Amino acid sequence: MEAFAQSIEGGVVYTWVTSVYWLWPLMETIHFIGLSLLLGGLIVIDARLAGFFRGVNIAATHKLLPWVFIGFGLNLTTGVLFFFGDPLRYAVNIGFQIKMVLVMIAGLNALWFWIKINPVMQSWEPDIDPPGVAKLIAWISLVSWTGVLLFGRLIPYVGTG
Amino acid sequence: MFEWLENTSVALWVGESLWAYPFMLSMHVIGLAIVVGILSMLDLRLLGSFKGIRTAAFLPLIRFAWIGFGINAVSGVFLFTSQATTFVSSTTFLIKLGCIFIGAILTKVLQNKLQETGADDSADGSLKGLAVVSLLLWLVAITAGRLTAYI
Repeated sequence: MEAFAQSIEGGVVYTWVTSVYWLWPLMETIHFIGLSLLLGGLIVIDARLAGFFRGVNIAATHKLLPWVFIGFGLNLTTGVLFFFGDPLRYAVNIGFQIKMVLVMIAGLNALWFWIKINPVMQSWEPDIDPPGVAKLIAWISLVSWTGVLLFGRLIPYVGTG
Repeated sequence: MFEWLENTSVALWVGESLWAYPFMLSMHVIGLAIVVGILSMLDLRLLGSFKGIRTAAFLPLIRFAWIGFGINAVSGVFLFTSQATTFVSSTTFLIKLGCIFIGAILTKVLQNKLQETGADDSADGSLKGLAVVSLLLWLVAITAGRLTAYI
């Protein structure tokens, strides 16, 4: 990881990100907007999947997914650029490392949803109280993304892993 | 007054404790995601996205957004105390506060209107203008908030 981080420093992207002084605050702002879209959509989708807001048509909540993906895309792009702009700091940062593990858990959890729940969802009544496994997936999603926010925000304050 | 605030025991605790400031910042970003996340989805719905969800379905979500708002009001006050004199003289911070203040009032207006129209989605067209203003306010609030750390 550190060797990879070292190889980035001095590269074209590194030079660009660190030389344009307004780029970092701009990317941070975009990162915050992205997280709002990502979490905003997921709160609605996961809360309904966890059994709350029974009056909301469960299939309809998944129409919010494109906004979740837009948010994720914005944050993946800016996130990669953050990493390229300060690789040695991020690579060894325990907050960043835990954050990345949580993103992976959230990703695998989304895959679990896709395989297990998505195919059967079409047959659900709009006001269904979802089965236990769906609720579990919803809670894993909410907890892991909240953790992503938490550890992401702690990156400047924690040390090496 | 703000100098006095900065020297209260609460402000000193936030400023000097190893974990208080980062903890409050973490709460603040979670609250932000709840508030702006839910309200931006509401605004997008009012602008015509995901029509399958009735706008009235957002009413319980708006109540949840107010909880996020509470989280950020509390964590925000703690963060403010530790650097009160710096914050009150920061233009970007004052812009952020102004946007949040107007945004909160606008949210209350939208909430009342949705309560009045109930399940009747046909009346929502008139709310498009307010939805655009709401989106812009949160966008500016986030931008100004982030820039407060730089300017």
